[in-house]
Amino acid sequence: MEVKPDLTLDLKGLLCPMPVVKINQAIKNVPIGGVIEAYATDPGVMADIPAWCRSTGNELVTIEKQDKVIRFVVRRLK
Amino acid sequence: MSATTLWGWIVLIALGLCIGGLGWRLYGLLARPYRPDRAQPRGSAWRGIVYAFTWGMMPWAKESTRRHFLPYVRGVLFHLGIFATLATLAVSPWRSALPASITMAGLVFTGIGAVGGLIGILMRIFDERLRALSHPDDYAAVVLVTVWQAAGMAFWTDPRWTAAFYALSALTLIAIPLTKIRHCIYFFFSRFFFGLFYGRRAVLG
Amino acid sequence: MSERIQQALTAFEKSLDRRLLAALEVCARCGICAESCHVFAAEPDFRNAPAAKAEAVRRFYRRLHDPIGRLFPWWVGAKDLTEADLEELAEIAFGACTLCRRCTMNCPMGVDTALIMRATRAMLTAAGKAPEMLTQLADAAIAREENLEFFREFYIDQIRELERELQEQTGDPDARIPVEKAGAEILYVALSGAHTILPAAVLFHAVGADWTLSMFEAANYGYFLADLQRARAIARRIVDEARRLGVKEIILAECGHAYTVLRWEAPNWFEDFPFRVRSIIEAAAEWIQQGRLPLDPSANPEPVTYHDSCNLGRNGGLLEEPRIILRAVVQDFREMSPNRAENFCCGGGAGLVAVPEWYEKRMRAGRRKVEQIRQTGARIVAASCDNCRLQLGDLNDYYGLGIRVSGLIDLVVNAYLAARRMKATAPAAPVRVSVQELI
Repeated sequence: MEVKPDLTLDLKGLLCPMPVVKINQAIKNVPIGGVIEAYATDPGVMADIPAWCRSTGNELVTIEKQDKVIRFVVRRLK
Repeated sequence: MSATTLWGWIVLIALGLCIGGLGWRLYGLLARPYRPDRAQPRGSAWRGIVYAFTWGMMPWAKESTRRHFLPYVRGVLFHLGIFATLATLAVSPWRSALPASITMAGLVFTGIGAVGGLIGILMRIFDERLRALSHPDDYAAVVLVTVWQAAGMAFWTDPRWTAAFYALSALTLIAIPLTKIRHCIYFFFSRFFFGLFYGRRAVLG
Repeated sequence: MSERIQQALTAFEKSLDRRLLAALEVCARCGICAESCHVFAAEPDFRNAPAAKAEAVRRFYRRLHDPIGRLFPWWVGAKDLTEADLEELAEIAFGACTLCRRCTMNCPMGVDTALIMRATRAMLTAAGKAPEMLTQLADAAIAREENLEFFREFYIDQIRELERELQEQTGDPDARIPVEKAGAEILYVALSGAHTILPAAVLFHAVGADWTLSMFEAANYGYFLADLQRARAIARRIVDEARRLGVKEIILAECGHAYTVLRWEAPNWFEDFPFRVRSIIEAAAEWIQQGRLPLDPSANPEPVTYHDSCNLGRNGGLLEEPRIILRAVVQDFREMSPNRAENFCCGGGAGLVAVPEWYEKRMRAGRRKVEQIRQTGARIVAASCDNCRLQLGDLNDYYGLGIRVSGLIDLVVNAYLAARRMKATAPAAPVRVSVQELI
């Protein structure tokens, strides 16, 4: 079932680590249990976002690549 | 025992305290770990070290000293005056036997140092930046060393100043390890580490 | 004394070696370092002068280690470290000093203020006062190794896609981006993302290098935190990989702090370090000098200037290599003034670009750099550090510079691909730049 995001971010064109920096900033603006959906183009996010979720204890709901754009969804758990 | 002889003994005791104090400071430094760089060097450590103590000290070698040329030269002359005053102290027992050229050189260099010190005091009082950085210790140190140099100059002018010069010498020697003046020993280490770092990395030297 | 202060002071004591002690003791408070600092040059408030910043550390150092500071603290400006001081020190050590060492070069005493600030960062990290973002990025890098199997699949997928781009660019269907290739001569460590992988792959292909791509990224946020444990854990991933694959050399992507970490610091952290570490700009300069890369500088016709990264240049010694490259690959290279070891920091170094709350601060700190760029009239600013490139890009937007920021290797690849195209269309002699011209 598709999760309805509380916030959607356009991170296209940003190079790593900026997508992680932006997610970290944005996650403070959603409630615990809230969800952020983001779109990025730097392939580095495929490794950086899951690693960031693991180290901060947030949930990576999904991460997928559609053509050149990477879409990922993160749920705030802390 | 004359007053001069008594002051002479006091200076020797102060010298002992100074050497002991600096030795204690040195021990405090050397007791700390030394962590050498083990990475393969790109350049010569020794060239960097030689640079740090020679060319690197020239007023034209750094942007900061080019920009603050006169204050830097003032500082150099002030420190030259300190060496001259120390030399004055070392040769003072033989003052009457010294040739006139030595007397003149002593007078000139201690005088230059004292003038440099006086300008330094005024700068520390009136320059807003220096005032913001300074503690009582900074003012006291520069005043003490300046007065000491002035006393050195006076000693070369008239031997009746000998007792005053010795009294100030004793005070200065005791102050060296306790006050800001102690930077004199750390200078050699700091510049050595500076030269080592930039020499190994082939940046300077 | 609170537990936090205790933790801070314990960490500070651990850092207090001979170099640090000399740096703390030797300052004569002459203040001539002030203008050498890009933060002060942009905002001439004396609190921004290196001597004033370091004084905030010396105050509690004297209280602890100087007999006069213990007996008569007011006389030498000594004071006990408090929780409020930790907040102020965090602003100074993480937010107002990029550890660029320009002040050290300009100090008559050679005071290593960057060393003092690193010790302060270590202390603040231990006390939990480091910027959250730097901590998270360091921990994410460590998490990547701990869950390598999880990341491997993602990563290899990405690399296979990049490989297709490589094949397109080089016109060679057999061009490869090898990963985990045992026995390769070179382990290339890129940054996260494609922008430092593909251009390097083109160059390795061009010179026929025997290479393999690292599973890990070169960035080390543990180093920015001055947290030796985290910094070593992040560096160890690469060192272990290099040992496992038996490579002779590690070549690093264009990254300033990664070069400092693996070239200069890591040999102090690991007993066994049996490989050479170079930046890709050293390798590229060498290949250019050896005439192994046909180059057509007309591919980069716009005026280009070079920003010396503090880690690579002033603190790493890579001062001539970028110039060897630029003179070979661009038509109009213009030096900034001052340059090389005297260059100004861009204002985003030592992790500042990753801390969003300091955006305005680093934009102000970059003012001197903006002036330097404007004076050259260049349209492209080349930089061989990703941190610098992020900052220069932000300065470009903030100050409306109208420039483009580029890596050195991107410019080399432009010139190389143009030369190949020229060779393909007109098979006369390829354009080569003589070694004499480059020196």
